[in-house]
Amino acid sequence: MATRIESETLTYEQRLVSLRETKIKSNLEKQALTGCLNSDDLAFILPPEDRREIVHAISGSGVPITDVIMSGIDIKSNHPNGGFYGPKACGENYASLLKGHPTYIDPMSSLAGAYMTNFGSFRKGGWKPELDFSHLRADQELYQLLSGIGAPQHFCQDLSLGLELGWGKILEKIRHYRTVNTSQDAQDFYDGLEAIVLGMQDWISRNAQLAREMAETEPRPQFKLNLLEMAEINERLVTAPPRTFREACQWIVWYQMAARMYNGSGSLGKLDLILQPFYERDKAAGILTDEEATFHIACLLLRDTAYIQVGGPDGDIKDVTSPVSFLTLEAVHLLRIPCNVAVAVGKDTDPALLRRGVEIIFEDRKSAPKFISMDNLARGFVRNGYPMELATQRAYAGCHWCALPGREYTLNDCVKINFGAVFQVAFEDLFADSGDEPSVDRLWELTTYHLERAVDAIAKGLDFQVAHMHEVFPELMLDLLCHGPIERGVDASHGGVEFMNLCVDGSALATVADSFAALEQRVEQEKRLTWAELKDAIDTDWAGTEGERVRLMMKSIPRYGSGGSLGDAWAQKVEDVFTELVKAKPTPEGHNMIPGLFSWASTISLGKDLRATPNGRHAGDPISHGASPDPGFRKDGAPSAMAVAVASVNPGWGNSAPMQIDLDPGLASDADGVENVMNLITAHFDLGGTLINMNILDKEQILAAHKDPSLYPDLIVRVTGFSAYFNRLSPEFRQLVVDRIIAEA
Amino acid sequence: MTESGIVFNIQRFSVHDGPGIRTTVFLKGCTLHCFWCHNPEGIRPKPEIQFYPDRCIGCGACLEACEHGAQILNDDGVHIYVRENCVMCGKCVDNCFSGALELTGTKVTVDEVMAEVLADHAFYANSGGGVTLSGGEPLLQADFSRAILQRSKEEGLHTAIETCGNYTWSHLESVLPWVDLVMMDLKHMDPDVHREVTGTSNERILKIAEGLMYTSKPVLFRTPVVPTVNDTPEAIGEIAAFVRRLSDLRIATNAETGGDAPLPVLGLLRFHRMAADKYRSLDLVYKARDLEVPSLAYMDELRDVARSYGIEVEH
Ligand code: SF4
Ligand code: SF4
Repeated sequence: MATRIESETLTYEQRLVSLRETKIKSNLEKQALTGCLNSDDLAFILPPEDRREIVHAISGSGVPITDVIMSGIDIKSNHPNGGFYGPKACGENYASLLKGHPTYIDPMSSLAGAYMTNFGSFRKGGWKPELDFSHLRADQELYQLLSGIGAPQHFCQDLSLGLELGWGKILEKIRHYRTVNTSQDAQDFYDGLEAIVLGMQDWISRNAQLAREMAETEPRPQFKLNLLEMAEINERLVTAPPRTFREACQWIVWYQMAARMYNGSGSLGKLDLILQPFYERDKAAGILTDEEATFHIACLLLRDTAYIQVGGPDGDIKDVTSPVSFLTLEAVHLLRIPCNVAVAVGKDTDPALLRRGVEIIFEDRKSAPKFISMDNLARGFVRNGYPMELATQRAYAGCHWCALPGREYTLNDCVKINFGAVFQVAFEDLFADSGDEPSVDRLWELTTYHLERAVDAIAKGLDFQVAHMHEVFPELMLDLLCHGPIERGVDASHGGVEFMNLCVDGSALATVADSFAALEQRVEQEKRLTWAELKDAIDTDWAGTEGERVRLMMKSIPRYGSGGSLGDAWAQKVEDVFTELVKAKPTPEGHNMIPGLFSWASTISLGKDLRATPNGRHAGDPISHGASPDPGFRKDGAPSAMAVAVASVNPGWGNSAPMQIDLDPGLASDADGVENVMNLITAHFDLGGTLINMNILDKEQILAAHKDPSLYPDLIVRVTGFSAYFNRLSPEFRQLVVDRIIAEA
Repeated sequence: MTESGIVFNIQRFSVHDGPGIRTTVFLKGCTLHCFWCHNPEGIRPKPEIQFYPDRCIGCGACLEACEHGAQILNDDGVHIYVRENCVMCGKCVDNCFSGALELTGTKVTVDEVMAEVLADHAFYANSGGGVTLSGGEPLLQADFSRAILQRSKEEGLHTAIETCGNYTWSHLESVLPWVDLVMMDLKHMDPDVHREVTGTSNERILKIAEGLMYTSKPVLFRTPVVPTVNDTPEAIGEIAAFVRRLSDLRIATNAETGGDAPLPVLGLLRFHRMAADKYRSLDLVYKARDLEVPSLAYMDELRDVARSYGIEVEH
């Protein structure tokens, strides 16, 4: 249904409907041009037709993508391989992109601008070849590790720094510190930063100009006024910091779009806390209504699907929940697009926020918001030796993670140990062992041995990343709003910020736990199968009817998640050892590592090179998702059983092991449906859970959409930490969601 | 006291069987035979084998395991389960991993049930939830039921039973002290119709319903709205009128005893016909398979009819 824009004045709600329709249209266009996208529903729009160039690239999250870049951008290489490396080249090339970036204004929105490409897709040559890490490759390959080397962003800037300074003062700050830190490296770094700030100012001022031009020809008074305001706001924001709520939202949008475009950063953090002073000031001055504030936030969310926390503790504030927290949820509610807003849930956090969040996720069925226990995460973080006041300052800012805004380098979600691959190596060793009869004990011994080696390899890789990432693709956009990089002349990834807490996630927990449990039960306890027979079935990927029978035999044991089973015990054991190994010592260079459990979208790719596993999984099939039990873990699929299971395997050092849960909309049909889901959430957190990614999905609809996704252009699912339009996912990602739903319904 | 019983399902996170988040324990065996029953595996008291041929991978393990000629290939080479020959030794099920052969109804101890129930302890307290005994008819295994209910009360859980009411008062009385909520079915007010559709007259049931009014227990009467049985304003009206009478009775009881026991509530449940697979797996005829599912709007109309009798009707 097309929106009719004929009435004199459109309401904010009507304007959002129009904006959403434009977005969905743009999505279909993107789909036609670049095909599927198995990650965040990035809000970029396509560049003008005559400037589109299709490329194959690697996304900011490390997955191969087909992408659109713009012609007419002057990218200079500083390396024989055609690539560009280091802060000066990256900054200057990015500045070229910003300066050549087309302007865009939708008069329906209160905020100017849109971004149209990924800078990463202009990069050629990958990792800088002379920074050789071939000495680490053997173990990385053996254990199929995602080492994090070359991974960008995945930590959180401090937006309030930018809102306080504005681009003018940021530029001054850079120019000041370049007189303090005079080494060549520092000068290169400042060159890069300075170029980017100038690029930002150019991009913003050209959009301001466009707003003015559009205002001149705009016949509708409402939009003429809107465009004039936009022009004025953006003319100011070229140098000055924002004064009003709307200006603050506009400032954030520019920064966020630039950070996203630079290297995929989607960390926004505590938006309610950040916007609260602006809100209060404008309200007191009588220049802002709640409806307007909600609209501005919605316009902000529309331009980037950044990760946001509302409510929860911060420093010595017990709960930052404010009207802005609620308005943020209302913005999500009005928008009905993929959003990554997490509601903090905790003892001191306003329970009304949780209630509103649950109401919205049921009413909208757009997989938002998600729910997070900042209390448990903070308590875990303290165990690393930090005070509670610091721990509570961490902000939810990415798929499954938190970071201290502007003060912590984390490389969250980039480093994965695939327990499945480690298990596979151990399993091969088990049979290579001459003489000894295989046993579960021996297999466990071998697994822990290899897990330890894998953790060591990860630690070395992390040191390598910290040592060299800044020479390759420094974090310039995030550096601008961090405490330290500008002052020290050092990139955040290289020690520019105060704290370094590197994330190490385990994956395939259920795959491996259920494998051990199946071996213990079927081979050792029940003796239904010899080790040789099992080995044979695995080697042939369960071929033939007998193979299939063995597969089902191994699969049909009480698995992780069923409660009190061997599978549950093994999951605990695997998690315990993993956590112990990660916490046993820091990296060789002394950097702290924090264990978590999460596989993100790599759930599929990490299974690709894995042979069949004794839990009845076929070769090449996805591994289990994050900390979740495998679909079908119980006949009743009880969410409470899952909540107990996932809570029990949380490593508890400040990083999360999210519960990915898909609930049936029928749950809310009861009068106390909302209450029950609130209780599910709080009970999971009482048991030690950290983060909940939730879908409310109608089984019939998902199955219909799986058959013909084009019929449901508006269907949104939370695949893992991120949410996306179902029709933009590749068939295998859609299958992943479908498998979950079928088994749980 | 019987410390074990036959259970055919334990469902955690059950949210439609009483207040809050609950665990529902389904006890096997029922004295009624409602033709629309959506838990047909709960009707017969003994364990049974369910056979789902479409899950079978044809491995032949059950044919080998069965010594009684109950798992055979017929002349066309099609695998069939001959229920009459089966002695329920369970060997075939033990060797079938595809889910094609399942045993419904297993003997479990009270301890085992409680372990499962208590696994969700964290979810009960805030939600006001707890444990619900359902079936089948839980009071067919009254000692077992009582033991579970008693233990649940000791654990501080809210307890509920879902019952058909087709027994004598002493049955119910023996568990009532440990029950916080009675959910009881009222299918039809006419004894003949009742006999026709459930196999039993409703006389005892109505007596039990009445008897409950002299206690202080909260009671939720539930009527499955089934086409051809009771999906008319008249049939629902009669049930509502009955609940109204009971309601008045409780008001009188309250006045006499100075108590404040809540008035009975009526809930109308929408018939669904999703049990076809289960009927087939048990070699039972699913007579309700072609009935129309009442529309949501019509259900609301019937609820309004019931409300017009001045009783509380659950949404
Ligand atoms: S339960 Fe025993 S008798 Fe019955 S079919 Fe199975 S193996 Fe045969
Ligand atoms: S054991 Fe199960 S899967 Fe195998 S033939 Fe018998 S019914 Fe089919």
